[in-house]
Amino acid sequence: MTMMDDKQYLTFALGKGRLAKDTMALFEKIGITCEEMKDKDSRKLIFVNEELKLKFFLSKGPDVPTYVEYGAADIGVVGKDTILEEDRRVYEVLDLGYGKCRMCVCGPAKSKELLEHHEMIRVATKYPHIAKDYFYNKKHQTVDIIKLNGSVELGPLVGLADVIVDIVETGSTLRENGLEVLEEICPLSARMIVNQVSMKMESDRIKKIIHDLKQYL
Amino acid sequence: MSKKRLHTPEGVRDIYGLEYLQKLSVQEKLHKKITEYGYQDIQTPTLEFFDVFSKQVGTVSSKELYKLFDKEGNTLVLRPDFTPSIARCAAKYFMEESIPIRLSYLGNTYLNTSELQGKLKEVTEIGAELIGDDTAQADAEMIALAIESLLSAGLVNFQVSLGEIDFFKGLCEEAGLSCETELALKDFISNKNHFGAQELLEEEKIKEEYILAILKVTDMFGSVEALSEAKSYVKNDRSLHAIERLLTVYEILSFYGVEQYVSFDLGMLSKYNYYTGVIFKVYTYGIGDAIVKGGRYDSLLTQFGKEAPSIGFMIIVDDLLSALSRQGILPKPQMANALLLYEQANLAQAVSLAHDYRKSGKQMTIIQKSNGKNIQDYLIFAKKQNISFVSEYISSDKIEIYHIELDQSYQITQNQLLEGIV
Repeated sequence: MTMMDDKQYLTFALGKGRLAKDTMALFEKIGITCEEMKDKDSRKLIFVNEELKLKFFLSKGPDVPTYVEYGAADIGVVGKDTILEEDRRVYEVLDLGYGKCRMCVCGPAKSKELLEHHEMIRVATKYPHIAKDYFYNKKHQTVDIIKLNGSVELGPLVGLADVIVDIVETGSTLRENGLEVLEEICPLSARMIVNQVSMKMESDRIKKIIHDLKQYL
Repeated sequence: MSKKRLHTPEGVRDIYGLEYLQKLSVQEKLHKKITEYGYQDIQTPTLEFFDVFSKQVGTVSSKELYKLFDKEGNTLVLRPDFTPSIARCAAKYFMEESIPIRLSYLGNTYLNTSELQGKLKEVTEIGAELIGDDTAQADAEMIALAIESLLSAGLVNFQVSLGEIDFFKGLCEEAGLSCETELALKDFISNKNHFGAQELLEEEKIKEEYILAILKVTDMFGSVEALSEAKSYVKNDRSLHAIERLLTVYEILSFYGVEQYVSFDLGMLSKYNYYTGVIFKVYTYGIGDAIVKGGRYDSLLTQFGKEAPSIGFMIIVDDLLSALSRQGILPKPQMANALLLYEQANLAQAVSLAHDYRKSGKQMTIIQKSNGKNIQDYLIFAKKQNISFVSEYISSDKIEIYHIELDQSYQITQNQLLEGIV
């Protein structure tokens, strides 16, 4: 009833960079490919696979849940950190397993003590939403959040903040700058998200993709 | 000269011109359909006491409410949702009534949601509530009415998802989940986050057969077959009753001839905690969220002192309009407005002509031609104002007509204009 006669395109929004590369490699295993995307010189913004009626585009990570919420993309692949920070109304259907890292509270060793009491501290982060939720709802500690847009590790070094909340992969940047992981907030990895309406309107196609992907996870 | 602030606060906006005309016309169609089913209009105040939307009632969370204080220091809120208001009304005015009451409403609701996410904070909702009826017939009537209302507004491609809260609650009881775990699980399930749900249940050391059952059945959505399959995974009465209920509702929907729009989703839950049984949502292309939300709330009225199991639904009119517009099927409102231009010397004749013209129920705007404006200026203006034709009064035998849609101009007499020749 609700399916239109001519098949509609399924659109994928992928977070730029390694995430997109890993995702396309995984998709290839289940027969979802896009030759157009492999052309390095292409200036195209949207890539199409006419045969399978699929479209792909790359965007900045934090924008992926936005595209998916509004149905500009049916499916998105993005890090769990972004999903937590953006807090959008989307279905989170798969843990793809790659892009593994942790969201942590980090700082110089001497800052550890500041986390033991409910004292007010200053926290520098790219993820104000996650930081707030962690300190207010889990630790019941009052914090002053300072939003930074990059090189958050600088915060404690130049005296802007007591600790930082950031993604830690290997921890080498931290160590080189005399910082360490003080507390772990949650593990992170790449996730597949789906628009709520697409899940209903295109349920057969999307369920098949989820089912196929599960075989390789 | 100081600059005046002309823009509206974030999340609210002006609607005017053609867009408002379209909104009114869609509202009218929806309202007509709801009225045909015998639902009576009710208007409740925009301001209510905070208690009507308190945590116990189970509506939106307190931080999403717009709150203000009256002179006595009472906390008031701008209604975020109609259902608790209607429940309060029903308890107040129909306390003794034992035959089901049918009420319908149309108005704006207010939600203080997050900034910069492109969501409106004030939206128009139209809805219906059937109070004091716990039958499957009532469930079906509500769902059928929602479907027929959308069809009457011109929507064609949409899908009704039908679920039953008791199914999930029965499962949680059977598995022996604590209240907290159930709440956390509800979040995961309604986000279709099954690996999250699995992790949670494993952490809580729930028996494996229950974990499997919970994950399996809440992932089932689709046709009647999905329901019968789900049945084989549960043993508790509450969940089995829920499935029986859905099957009965589905059968009655086929009497209405609308069952093809319905599919089942046993993992569908609502953030409103007052829902108790059957719940449903309608999805369509172009809008990232359900445009219709409805369900059974059998204990909500008890909180206001009346025992009355009830069911209702609401359509978010603004979202329906966006969907219609994005699908390119927004009905074009009929242009019936006429504009009459006259020179100052002919004022008396123009007023009298317009008066006669309006007698038949048609619309006419009269404007005195100003110096320095030519007919082209008025035609451009008319186009922007959705006026179908411009007429210029020269004498009673000579009225110059400029037809906008047909892009033609010709002359007729005053009587011909009144007879509707244009």
